[in-house]
Amino acid sequence: MYGQTITTRKRVTSAIWALVVNIIFWIVIPYYVGMFLTGKVPDSALTVPTFVYEFGIMFIILEVGAAFFQGKAVAVPMISAVALLTVVYVWYATNGGVLGVETSGITLALSFRLMLYVLVLPSIWAAIRAPLSYMVWRRAVKTGVSPTSLVSPAS
Amino acid sequence: MGIWALRGVTVAIALGVLLVIGTVAYSGYEDYTAVKAELAGGPHQAVGAAVLRGSTETVSINITVPNNGLYPLNVTLTCDYPTPNIVCQRASVDVSPGGQGVLRFTMTVLDISQFEDSGNQVVNGTVAISMAPFVGLTVGTNFGGFVKPGGD
Repeated sequence: MYGQTITTRKRVTSAIWALVVNIIFWIVIPYYVGMFLTGKVPDSALTVPTFVYEFGIMFIILEVGAAFFQGKAVAVPMISAVALLTVVYVWYATNGGVLGVETSGITLALSFRLMLYVLVLPSIWAAIRAPLSYMVWRRAVKTGVSPTSLVSPAS
Repeated sequence: MGIWALRGVTVAIALGVLLVIGTVAYSGYEDYTAVKAELAGGPHQAVGAAVLRGSTETVSINITVPNNGLYPLNVTLTCDYPTPNIVCQRASVDVSPGGQGVLRFTMTVLDISQFEDSGNQVVNGTVAISMAPFVGLTVGTNFGGFVKPGGD
């Protein structure tokens, strides 16, 4: 929520918390999953792709930044960037909703592009919602109307 | 537009996404179990027949496809054989939710004398299953084969 007074100590705590959670999620878990896959199927190409770590680093930077600057205008583009990056990541990881595998003479192709549009819809909305929320708050500050009001001040 | 309006849109989108994921997962599970039960010997299991006229063999298979899901189901069978002597009629059936359809697949072997006397002649094919409009699955596999009459 914008406009709240957040102490530097709380910002640092939130940033550290975001850093730890995101490192576990984007670095530690993929690393151990990769080790598990390599151990189970040694001579296969079944590994965690590098792009998971690359996206992970970008997610960590943006999430930590958003946590540190929470409640400030500078956090808005970071929150939107995380949401848009999620869309790109999901699109990239699922090959645009068309997955295929060939093994033992059997070819499997799964197509779920429309389903993918539905899946990324919340992230797209999150990217739009962040600046909208900030604008609502800014206008409320200027007009003196509570930002939680259901009625537009203009109406 | 207040914060509550934005929250309302967020909740609506979340509910919509959950609804789509839930219904697609439910339909996929129901369709899978129904088709599996049919193929395992259900009341309408696949009926096949092979007729030999001269040197032309016609293989016909009728498969009942139930749709216990919530979305329309389309099943298409095509075969791919590297000789012009085998002609497959592309079979496709659309099944509305709660209904069932029959997939009629016909394969004609024009000159069966060309094939070896022993063993199955393997035919590769593709099964495309789509749960319109969200998910489509294509499986390319060995359809099995046909035995030349008089062979092993």
